[in-house]
Amino acid sequence: MQPILRIDLSTRKIETVNLPSAWEKEYLGGASLGARVLYDSLTEELDPFSPESPLLILCGPLTGTLGPAVGRFVVCGKSPATGLWAESNCGGFWGPELRFAGFDGIWIVGKLETPHYIKIVDGEVGVHPADLLWGLDTYAIQQRIKEEIQLPKSRVLAIGPAGENGVVFSGLFCDHGRSAGRTGLGAVMGSKMLKAIAVKGSRKIPIFHAESFNSIRSASNRFLKEDVYTKVLHQLGTASSSDYSDYLGIMPKKYYSSGYFEGTGNISGSKISETILKGTSACHGCVIACGRVVDLGDGKVRKGPEYETLVGFGPNLLNSDLNLIVKLGEACDLLGLDTISTANIIGLAYKLFEQGVLNENDTGGLNLAWGRSAEAMELIKLIANREGIGKIMAEGSRKFARAFGVEEEAVQVNGLEVAYHDPRGASGMALVYATSPRGACHNKSDYFLVDWGQTFETVGVNYFLRQAGAEKAENVARHQNYRTIFDALVLCIFSNIPVEMILDLTNYATGFDFSIDELIAVGERSWNLKRCINIRLGLKKANDKLPKDLLTPLSDGGAAGYKIPFEEMINAYYDARDWDKRTGIPSHAKLDELGMSEIVSDFYPE
Amino acid sequence: MRPKFPSPEWLNALSDKLNNDSRYASIASKWEADMTIIVEPGGELKDPLYYYFDLWHGKCRRVAVLNDPEEEKPVFVLTASYENISKIMKGELDPMQAMLTRKMKVQGNLVVMMRNVPTVLDFVRCAREVTDEIE
Repeated sequence: MQPILRIDLSTRKIETVNLPSAWEKEYLGGASLGARVLYDSLTEELDPFSPESPLLILCGPLTGTLGPAVGRFVVCGKSPATGLWAESNCGGFWGPELRFAGFDGIWIVGKLETPHYIKIVDGEVGVHPADLLWGLDTYAIQQRIKEEIQLPKSRVLAIGPAGENGVVFSGLFCDHGRSAGRTGLGAVMGSKMLKAIAVKGSRKIPIFHAESFNSIRSASNRFLKEDVYTKVLHQLGTASSSDYSDYLGIMPKKYYSSGYFEGTGNISGSKISETILKGTSACHGCVIACGRVVDLGDGKVRKGPEYETLVGFGPNLLNSDLNLIVKLGEACDLLGLDTISTANIIGLAYKLFEQGVLNENDTGGLNLAWGRSAEAMELIKLIANREGIGKIMAEGSRKFARAFGVEEEAVQVNGLEVAYHDPRGASGMALVYATSPRGACHNKSDYFLVDWGQTFETVGVNYFLRQAGAEKAENVARHQNYRTIFDALVLCIFSNIPVEMILDLTNYATGFDFSIDELIAVGERSWNLKRCINIRLGLKKANDKLPKDLLTPLSDGGAAGYKIPFEEMINAYYDARDWDKRTGIPSHAKLDELGMSEIVSDFYPE
Repeated sequence: MRPKFPSPEWLNALSDKLNNDSRYASIASKWEADMTIIVEPGGELKDPLYYYFDLWHGKCRRVAVLNDPEEEKPVFVLTASYENISKIMKGELDPMQAMLTRKMKVQGNLVVMMRNVPTVLDFVRCAREVTDEIE
């Protein structure tokens, strides 16, 4: 792999670092390698907003190679929302451009006195003032820096006002709304007074076996283009799943309290395609092009909503106004907010308003009765600017609910808001949310699709009934291991190609000679490493749980009446993982089996 | 005794089932598309089969065994091997799983398909319920 940059913003010291080759073989790249790099830096005492807090951006061995949906990078650190391991990956073109500039990552520590941005051009690195750029939204900042540096096709990764203001669910944005949205790393970047990172490169990405790689790259892209799932994503975007998700009771409504909402038919991927869709957008070299480009009739070209934004600002708020959903999502992108968490927290506000926990004195006069969704726009602004009720909402749903004495009402796990795939409709998601290394994340394992039928028999991921219980625990663990390979490479989870192709791409790109089992072991090792990081950050077995609302059966909809047998499932999961049921720590034998001798003594002193 | 799959008798039995099943009539009440199911050879099946269905608002208006798939220009063409179709008919393979794992190819308007997945699944339920035996 190429070196990574290490930049201390306090001292302005800039150096290149070659990561140990052994780590590369053990963890490959992306979030997995990031976890190994940051293992020693992340302590329970570390304040995510302190100068010592790291912000690590890493590509993977496939990033920018024009392989099948591989234009991605990841941002890692300690989450201000959860206090745990943070990672969030992002598409677009920025990651490939960083590799073209000669670096596979940037490891940032320290803190600036005044706002600045970093510029990286073909190996040259500079830190430049951004006083006049502070406060700009994420679209304006990208445009302004591109105008300032005057380099055609340069790429800018930036934070918005929410990141500047320390909103714990703010993200990093590039390429017109592509975001590393989850876990609040935008706020970590903002705490360093770092507004943006501009990159431009013209170098060739090193490929170990270039000829063989190019052959399998072409074949895998052809394969992917013909895949039915790809065609669905291309034609309908990620919201393609919304109709079926609604039917199965997987789509949450009214802040996870209802299984039915009459307006869902108005706000599906199909409806977008039939009404406001004007085109598609793709990340670097991607044949899927799941991004939506929409026109609401005012002639302005906008980013259209993906599934999470559609449901979060739609049925979650009992809102069936598609145009409003587009604008709410756009507001989040501009201000630098993660739409999943933002919509979740706003849904919580509506729920607390209905319960009388919140009133108009708390909300600054906003009437948050269900269905009054235009008020959500005001809440978004209040959150991003930390004004009024937005000041406490900006701390995330857990602290927001806790401030009003009702923490149990927040639908979150370990401080990260639950995404819009209800485990009562797809029970595998119960374990996914409870055990994800970054809180209630749906991307560390998109197991709802396995519950639909997207199996991977080659790596032992088989089909179980979507409301099965403990019998699917081992299957969930296998799927997590498999998807962790995607996070390492950094390969988009929509890249529905056979594992054999992923193996060949990996081996030809890196020069390694992994078998499928060895590749999956990289995933399992990484999953356990992140678990170990979180244990060191204070995670206990008791943290592996679900919020009460998700354990309460719904009275209507496709998942009506189903109660998740969570205790049986989590116990079976611990057995499958070989984790101690008392402490939640991976067993000594498991760490030995995975070759993690370097960290064993941290948990099992001699 | 119910007819064997695949056979013209089975096709007619499925048509009758679709026209007399209240659950299908309800779920498929908004469906407006015809389709051809192509069964690729394998096992006992030496030649491909082309089964055509004209489906409209919860009813089956016409079925036909085609000699050539080009005889009709349906909205959807579903293609699967004899082995995988048999597994679907026996309930050993979920139809969504078949689509997501490339065991069944789908050609046509995917906007309509994704909006109507429940209709497709209920069509398969009806097919299973008229299938007594698979050759």
